[in-house]
Amino acid sequence: MTDQPSWVKIRRAFDAPIDVIWSMWTKPEEFKRWYGPMGMSIPIAEMDVTIGGTRKICMEMKSPERTMTMWFTGVYKEIDAPRRLVYTESMCDADGTLISPQSMGMPEGAPDITEVIVELTEEDGRTMMTMVHVGVPEGTAGEGGWNQAFDKLATLLV
Amino acid sequence: MSDPNQLDAAFAALANPTRRAILARLAQGEATVNMLAEPFDMSLPAVSKHIRVLEDAGLITRGRNAQFRPCKLNAAPLRAVAHWTDQYRHIWDMRFDAMDRIISEVKDTKDD
Repeated sequence: MTDQPSWVKIRRAFDAPIDVIWSMWTKPEEFKRWYGPMGMSIPIAEMDVTIGGTRKICMEMKSPERTMTMWFTGVYKEIDAPRRLVYTESMCDADGTLISPQSMGMPEGAPDITEVIVELTEEDGRTMMTMVHVGVPEGTAGEGGWNQAFDKLATLLV
Repeated sequence: MSDPNQLDAAFAALANPTRRAILARLAQGEATVNMLAEPFDMSLPAVSKHIRVLEDAGLITRGRNAQFRPCKLNAAPLRAVAHWTDQYRHIWDMRFDAMDRIISEVKDTKDD
């Protein structure tokens, strides 16, 4: 399958060296600080930043009545510090078992698996970041090496 | 749109510049295959094949008029696709705004 699925692409310049931005993405304590703004916090971020390593993120929203949590898991597919990072993302429960986005109230059509691609370049102490978040349609999984990734994930979650 | 297979088909159909151009043309009104083929440097069968992909994805409908069967845009699957991408763009923009704030906070602390 050579056709590409749908994606979101965002380019940003940050007034910081490339290593600072890289650790924002790869160090749990720093990732937690920016990833969940606007009423959401990140109480848990487990990141095994190695190829095939898993990530598990918990997002939490506290209201006076209740605390809502959402869990996300995935695997790291490419790591080329400090220039390129590729990882997958799926919704899961607290045990890491994958769940469909629709069962969590996401709209119909929200993909089960998505992939985040981060590319960084440095120029005069500033960092240019290109982030692409790709929705991976069902059925393309096997061809893209997704099965291996999820086999690996499954063994790690047992 | 509730059928995930149809969404997959819409994603795949949109991942081609010729097919996006055909949809852009149809956004202005219905057209026959000949009219759609005009701006492209490719054979009529090749254009017909692209139209078939769009039709299978539910992005266009064909008229019943036997000889010309004009094509018409069906925007419903497009809305489902746009919904997902728009939502994620908004979420990421907010996150990167937060990243920017943290960077300037760190900078201010260092400058003091």
